[in-house]
Amino acid sequence: MTAVQRDQTGRDPGLAGLLAGLGQYGRAADGPVITADVPVTRLEEAVRRIAAHPGARLADMFASATSHDPVVLRLVWGLDADHAYLITESVIDAERYPPLSDIAPAAFHEECEIYEQFGIRPAGAKPLNRVALPPIPGFDLPRLGHAPAGPPVGVHAPHVVGGHAFEFPFGPVRQVGVESLYYGLVTSGEEVVDLYLFTWHKHRGMEWRLQGRTPRDALFHVERTEGLGAVGPAWAFAAAAETALGLDPPAQAERARAVALELDRLYNHAAATAALCQSTGLVIGQAAAEIALERLLRLNAAAFGHRYLFGVVDIGGAAVGPDAAALRRDLPGAYGELRRAADALLTTNSFLDRLEATGILSQEAARRLGLVGPVARGTGLPVDARADHPAVPYAALAPIVATADGGDVLARFRVLLAEAAESVRLIEEMLEAGTGPGRAGPPGHPSAAPASGLGWAESCRGEALAWVALDDRGRITRARLRPASVRNWRGFDDACRSQNVFTDIPIIEASFWLTVAGTAR
Amino acid sequence: MPLWFVRGLRRGVVTTRYPARPDDSAALLPTPPSFRAEALTVALADRLVAVCPSRALTRRREVLVYDVGACTACGRCRAEVPAAVTDSGQFELAATVRARLIKHVPLTHDGRHLETGEKDSP
Repeated sequence: MTAVQRDQTGRDPGLAGLLAGLGQYGRAADGPVITADVPVTRLEEAVRRIAAHPGARLADMFASATSHDPVVLRLVWGLDADHAYLITESVIDAERYPPLSDIAPAAFHEECEIYEQFGIRPAGAKPLNRVALPPIPGFDLPRLGHAPAGPPVGVHAPHVVGGHAFEFPFGPVRQVGVESLYYGLVTSGEEVVDLYLFTWHKHRGMEWRLQGRTPRDALFHVERTEGLGAVGPAWAFAAAAETALGLDPPAQAERARAVALELDRLYNHAAATAALCQSTGLVIGQAAAEIALERLLRLNAAAFGHRYLFGVVDIGGAAVGPDAAALRRDLPGAYGELRRAADALLTTNSFLDRLEATGILSQEAARRLGLVGPVARGTGLPVDARADHPAVPYAALAPIVATADGGDVLARFRVLLAEAAESVRLIEEMLEAGTGPGRAGPPGHPSAAPASGLGWAESCRGEALAWVALDDRGRITRARLRPASVRNWRGFDDACRSQNVFTDIPIIEASFWLTVAGTAR
Repeated sequence: MPLWFVRGLRRGVVTTRYPARPDDSAALLPTPPSFRAEALTVALADRLVAVCPSRALTRRREVLVYDVGACTACGRCRAEVPAAVTDSGQFELAATVRARLIKHVPLTHDGRHLETGEKDSP
């Protein structure tokens, strides 16, 4: 990310020009979040303009609707160089809207999702994939809006395979302890010619289930959306609700959240290391990484009372603070266990050979698809919400964003290890500054009028986003959850196609370290 | 590979004494709830049923039916009515018969205990 010249407001002149261009539609700034109303007739032009802005990336796209009003389409842009998020809001009062993925390819998955949930689709004849809707006649889902006119016709199904290639169906039940996921593998024997995924087996309608709940009640479900990696999505959701409610969490509670977030990152990176060893057949290395993982999970329990860090984040602050003494006593040993295993792995040629040049993802592809987290950083793209959009505890600590070149599995592994070391440093800094439980006000305190807010956090898998709208009783009318897994699965097939063979796929999947539950939510 | 062989020998066996004795970390694990029947009224039971996310709790007349097999030990019931729900401290819940995982907690009514079923919770 290149440095930019800034004006007196701290924003670069390019952003001022961009906002001036959008300002003709009407906009409002709420701290680092800028909202602009964009008429649907000008939506394509606005998307072209924003997409061309330096450092801009489409972070999310979603819709909302009430029973009487038309659908509102929202695009969330990360203006990372400007340390701001931009939300465009467009009222869609027809069945079709401009095909935005032609301009911003990262929008395609959401175009499919919005069609299933709200019945509106991009203009044109582009086929849409199934996201949550299984191809079972008569099967239907609880929806956020109204049903589509017809089922989606996927771009990859039916799959036309020619020559000597054939399609190898794999999943959704794969092996013990691994999430259900269907691979459609197109192969000529061993090389992966093409790959597509079905994730609808795990769809649970989480966003639909959150409607009508109070933010605090919903938070319980949000942090279980992915299971592995509860803190990031929970913090993003809590921050969104706090913006809507006008709550300002106490500093020591924000730091308690940050300690939990870094512990979350540590144990997930250890788990990814163990999975990499398993996928490369290095059983002793796997055992070594799993010893580190178990020590980190026990440390989580000792520090916060839960191995997977559930129940730490609360609306308005943190429900529990860390046991600083336990962390100071046990963190060096637990991390040292991981570090020793990693150092040995980095000198094991049979391990490195399997990682090097496997699952290559280009930086251009990562940028085009809006990827985040270690997957994006492994291509050299320094996107990290802790640095680009720092929450209170990170602003003063200047987290070092680890990147690597190459975009292969080895690059992602190196990023994971560098981030683990940085997490230990950040935890020590947070403890030094003081951590503890605390809330800004009564949880779920109803606002006087309907309100909405955007929240974010850099989870172990990358930027997690949440957007929450509350009614005048403080109940959720629409909650959008966008864990990092939602973004990064869309880069997985690209990585698998890059001259890999069947046995490379588990290695690539381990290096992505995503959850199916997060994307299927 | 010799590196890993030497590392394995040097690190030695890493395991626990379980099941001969519980591991030290067992005390840190969340465990399913235990219900104090004498403190549970029908109204309180309905509150517990409402907050249970996995539908492990249902009420049949004046009995709280608790399916231990469906419980995820999330702690919501304990947080909802701390006076009547505590952590059981037990995590060895396996049973050879499914029905043994279904517990019946008789509810009180106006402070009077109703003899409507067994009082067994983990």
